[in-house]
Amino acid sequence: MDTDSTVVAEAEPANAAQAGNGDSDSGVVIETRNLSKIYRDFWGRKKVNALKSLDIEVRRGEVFGLLGPNGSGKSTTIKLILGLLFPSSGRVLVFNKDASETSKNERIGYLPEESYLYKFLTAEETLDFYGRLFDMSGAARKQRVSELIELVGLQGAKHRQLREYSKGMTRRVGLAQALINDPDLVLLDEPTTGLDPIGSREMKDLILSLKKQGKTVLLCSHQLADVQDVCDRVAILDQGELKELGRVTDLLKVQDVTEIHTKRLTPEVEAEIKAIIEREGGECTIDNPTATMEDLFLNIVRESEARPGARRVSGTSTPQKTSDDGQQAEDNQGDAGQ
Amino acid sequence: MILQPEDFWSFYEWLMRPESFLESAFLQGIVLFVLAIVIGLMVGYIISANRYGPGEGFYAVARAVRDLIRFDLPGTSAHRVFALARLAFKEAIRRRVLFVVGLFVALLLLAGWYLNPESSDPARLYISFVLTATNYLILALALFISAFSLPNDIKSKTIYTIVTKPVRPTEIVLGRMLGFMAVGTVMLVPMGLASYLFVSRGLNHQHLEVVDVVEEADGSLVGETDYVQDHKHSFTIYPDESGGIAQGLTDVVRGHRHIVTRDASGNFEIGPPEPLRARIPSYGDIQFFDRGGNRKDEGVDIGAERFDAGGYGSSGISRVIGLSRGSRKVQHGYVEGGTLGKAEFTFQNVTPERYPNGLDLDLSLRAYRSYKGDIESGIRGSVTMKHPTKDIESNPISFVINEYEVDELPLPLNPEGTDNNETRKLNVFEDLVDENGQLVLVIKCLDRSQYLGVTQSGVYLRAGDNPFWWNLTKAYVSIWLQMTMVIAFGVMFSTFLSGPVAMVTTFACVLLGFSAEQVYDTRHFIDSGIERGGGPIESMVRLLRQDAMTTQLDVDTTAAKVIKTTDAGIVYSLDAIATALPNLPKMVGTAEYAASGFDIFGALLLRHAAATLGYCLLAFIISYFFLKSREIAA
Repeated sequence: MDTDSTVVAEAEPANAAQAGNGDSDSGVVIETRNLSKIYRDFWGRKKVNALKSLDIEVRRGEVFGLLGPNGSGKSTTIKLILGLLFPSSGRVLVFNKDASETSKNERIGYLPEESYLYKFLTAEETLDFYGRLFDMSGAARKQRVSELIELVGLQGAKHRQLREYSKGMTRRVGLAQALINDPDLVLLDEPTTGLDPIGSREMKDLILSLKKQGKTVLLCSHQLADVQDVCDRVAILDQGELKELGRVTDLLKVQDVTEIHTKRLTPEVEAEIKAIIEREGGECTIDNPTATMEDLFLNIVRESEARPGARRVSGTSTPQKTSDDGQQAEDNQGDAGQ
Repeated sequence: MILQPEDFWSFYEWLMRPESFLESAFLQGIVLFVLAIVIGLMVGYIISANRYGPGEGFYAVARAVRDLIRFDLPGTSAHRVFALARLAFKEAIRRRVLFVVGLFVALLLLAGWYLNPESSDPARLYISFVLTATNYLILALALFISAFSLPNDIKSKTIYTIVTKPVRPTEIVLGRMLGFMAVGTVMLVPMGLASYLFVSRGLNHQHLEVVDVVEEADGSLVGETDYVQDHKHSFTIYPDESGGIAQGLTDVVRGHRHIVTRDASGNFEIGPPEPLRARIPSYGDIQFFDRGGNRKDEGVDIGAERFDAGGYGSSGISRVIGLSRGSRKVQHGYVEGGTLGKAEFTFQNVTPERYPNGLDLDLSLRAYRSYKGDIESGIRGSVTMKHPTKDIESNPISFVINEYEVDELPLPLNPEGTDNNETRKLNVFEDLVDENGQLVLVIKCLDRSQYLGVTQSGVYLRAGDNPFWWNLTKAYVSIWLQMTMVIAFGVMFSTFLSGPVAMVTTFACVLLGFSAEQVYDTRHFIDSGIERGGGPIESMVRLLRQDAMTTQLDVDTTAAKVIKTTDAGIVYSLDAIATALPNLPKMVGTAEYAASGFDIFGALLLRHAAATLGYCLLAFIISYFFLKSREIAA
């Protein structure tokens, strides 16, 4: 996936993201007030209390994550925001409009949990159809469709019916249809579920690039690592109740531990540092960091694409972090820390 | 085919019923809309009051109505409707519904096995076969595609990606309806072409030679054709005196005839069968006279004609509220032979411009013998042309009644006749037609104590013929309208029911629409205290007890009261529902016109079109509210 996208050309400048950090009311994109949802059966008897008095605000330009175990009310919240469900009590405001209003959809892109698309259409027809629903003119639609097909990397398969697609390919079409109107707010329901590590990496890169363009992203997931990688703020739900809400960096920071990263530390310096800390009465362990499984996997795949053939398996050696990856990780950290 | 009085109504008469507004289609439509709105608001309020409480529920209903008028109707974009219609169309096509066309063609290929080759009127058989087959195939298909599509989208959640775009419920409903109508159209066109080919090719045949040609005393040649496709014709040719080409017509066998020509050298040639046509009848007003010559509203009833039910549907609201009762079906009225009894038909607009080739009178009459008489020869009748007011009339032209066939009787333009006791040659347009273009035809039965039966539609002047293909097209338009109606109902039910349930409900509506007249009949018997089996429960009791249906219900008084009250409740509710449903049998009946070789009048088609439009509008509004108030993800 090409994250360096020219597609979303009219993106707001990055300062939008900063404006989102301020608590000004004008920056609020989604607001739920005392939002509750009770599922009832045909006779009106209460079945499940899926959501209890949820109050959250999603501000412009941020990536907001809804976290929680299965059945915690994440999907219910997203459906309430989209107007697919009606609240039992409380309200949802999207762009200061009630969620039941159709006109709010002009600025929304939604990627459902699974890609619910028409299997009898080809990728191109699918995107063309959704473009028509936005009343786009023929020429604009054509251009947008080819841009999005390129963005999600389906040029070779655009004339095939979706019934022949693999899960990952369908997911890409689903993502493309969510972006067809160049939305200001993107809602992603379990965006990385069912994707292989490359696909999920690309999805995360795309989310970050959307953020860079000043878009607001709301995603729900139970893939905690993904949420940690991309989200500015998270809300943790369980059994329909809000348990925690805050910045990812604040929530995860371990206050009484300090971490120092260095390169090429000689054993002499290492011993010296240890001595200094112990002299001051602190505890210290020094170790080489382990990379994530994701990094390992991505490195192997990249390497094999560059040099096809059997790879020499080194059972003991840890992979070298490429400087590129390190840079990326630091970028993420930097973004989140702002 | 016996036309009923309502069939003669013009579009305006049907819509407004100038003399009895209570019977008008317009009033029925208005009442239906008002009832739908009132019931809709009430049900909507009950549901939302249950959901949000009494006060908030009222606002929810008010908001839904406001949204429709303020946002959703004006905001409906033709562009999006078209996109959704295209999607519905593509879905149906890629699910290979066009196989139905293949099925139809296969049916036509096999039809030869089932259609009786010895039928006396193969054209009627062929045409009614193709039209009936098309009609039921298309209605069944409309039922399936319309009832399952939306529930499938909701079940597979593809609808999520639609309703999260700026798409309004109006657009979803309209898009479906239009898309499926397009599918139906795409299928009806090839089916119509195949039908046309099947009928015209199937009836085409060639007689190659003549046999047994005999010269009569007057110089005419009488002979027979050879035996082809289970029939032969006999013909008469009057040879051209200058020795050129002579032409003659064969008799009508199996509903068609051929032109026979004889050239100068004496070779005969038999042309192809005359092409199928659609008669354009001009009907007159009928007046009966009894044996004493007194005016009567109806002819003699020979019995057994009144038992048929029907014609209730034409009385609209006035029947539902009990102001008009009984069947309105018109059957043959009979004229007694050898007396002053007669039937007078007054025709309008008889002008030379309208009938340039002379007056062609078509008769489809019945004969009733009160004694056996000479069984070899048919009952005879006569036609007299008469001035409406002056005492001028032509001499009677006698004919033999051919039952169950259309008898063609060309009327002479310069008949012998009497003008105030003076006998002279008359000119029809100058002497017999009055200044308003009216002409009276008097039909009598000549055989004493035998009877001749007529209806208003049995005697008409043929103002011309329309080509068969045009009539077939009109019959297909009627099928298209029925299909549209079924699609509208199917889509409406599918907005709040699951696929199979929506299909069964639509099917029930179609079925109830088809049997409406029987329901009206049952209600009529209950209202007038006639024992005719009663309602459903009473009928069941009679069935189990093996009681006849015209006897008193033989159970104890209390039980009878309970049964009759419950039955009345059921029958009255069914009656109300059936009245609210479209009159499909009337629409299916247009096929009968094409099969009998009558032009389908524009007024009839226009009525069906207007009714279809009304029902589609109603279905559209109801669908909107159901879709709007529905939690798509629930």
